[in-house]
Amino acid sequence: MTTDEKFFAWLDGELSESESAAMERKVAADPALACLADEHRALKARLGRVFDPIAEAPLPQHLQAALREPEAEVVDFGAAQRRRAARFSWSVPQWSAIAATLAVGILVGTMVPQRSTSPVAIEGGHVYAAAALDQALSAELASAPGKGDVRIGITFRDQSGAICRSFSQSAASGLACRDSKGWQVRGLFAAPEGQGGTYRMAAGMDPNLATLVNLTMDGEAFDAAQEKAAKARGWR
Amino acid sequence: MDQPLSFESDLAALLPRLRRFAHALSRNSADADDLTQATAERALRNRAQWEPGTRLDSWLYRIMRNLWIDTVRARGRRDKVEAPAELAERLGEDSAIEASIDLKRVMAAMQRLPEEQREVVSLILVEGFGYREAAELLELPIGTVSSRLVRGRTALLAMVGEQ
Repeated sequence: MTTDEKFFAWLDGELSESESAAMERKVAADPALACLADEHRALKARLGRVFDPIAEAPLPQHLQAALREPEAEVVDFGAAQRRRAARFSWSVPQWSAIAATLAVGILVGTMVPQRSTSPVAIEGGHVYAAAALDQALSAELASAPGKGDVRIGITFRDQSGAICRSFSQSAASGLACRDSKGWQVRGLFAAPEGQGGTYRMAAGMDPNLATLVNLTMDGEAFDAAQEKAAKARGWR
Repeated sequence: MDQPLSFESDLAALLPRLRRFAHALSRNSADADDLTQATAERALRNRAQWEPGTRLDSWLYRIMRNLWIDTVRARGRRDKVEAPAELAERLGEDSAIEASIDLKRVMAAMQRLPEEQREVVSLILVEGFGYREAAELLELPIGTVSSRLVRGRTALLAMVGEQ
């Protein structure tokens, strides 16, 4: 064992009583060693502070499920990672196409685009916010939520400089970005089964929407003052 | 003597600790949770290979460590042909547990340690295994574990000590 190794073994309580007593005397007589011992004790304490909460936290649901259904599915760890990497490395245009597909699905499935109260309308092949959704996107501030069904989440600029806002309604949440014609809906995601009505942005953004937001956002989300200023400028 | 608990409940009780170990090894929480899940699944499939009377925790840590090594090797090969998915890395770090900035910082520093130092630092300084236990778990001579631990913790202190 080198001197270094012996010093650390002492620090970790790995030495015999007599060896430990000898090292203790050596450290007490050497301020540099004493200082090093303190630094390493602090490092170990810090590792405990950052990692121990994980062992004390409740397990995420999918991990609990892995225990409950051992026969259900054999998951290849590498494959799961590759799937995730593939999912996140999709380009924005691909995302837009998927979002558009989803939006159309929801339109056909749960919304009636011909009515004046429909939250979306199709203009020139693009989906735009309409009625209450359009109003909320133009008028509401996340910092001062209105009484309507639509909640505004975060506001930010996309890579082209357009202002985008995430929103949630009872049955869906989505992302819309401002252009010359209005609020173009970039993505619309149905609320998970059983969460309609109670689903709120504050309870956690839909993971698909969160991914779309991450891919769209350039820089940081607006704070309350920036959001207010953007509204005053007509979202330009 | 208490009634022995079932394998499943013992595994369930150890899973939070394994998840902590996975965080010490992995570059982000999403990878750590994938690793934890894969470990639980492999343990359940291979439960017949565990010898009752031996330590279940060491057996599980060994499974996790071996899965991790496989993953790192597979990734090494894959990353040579594909650009590293930095975006995936960034987006992977979105779980509530990583809301802790300090955890992110420490995980990032741990990532910069060579694999063989990181696993020793994780087992001994994070998971609290003794040198001998860690050496048995890793199937290494205790002297090797001890010298890797010195190098690993010294490098780690240099990286995070000033923050």
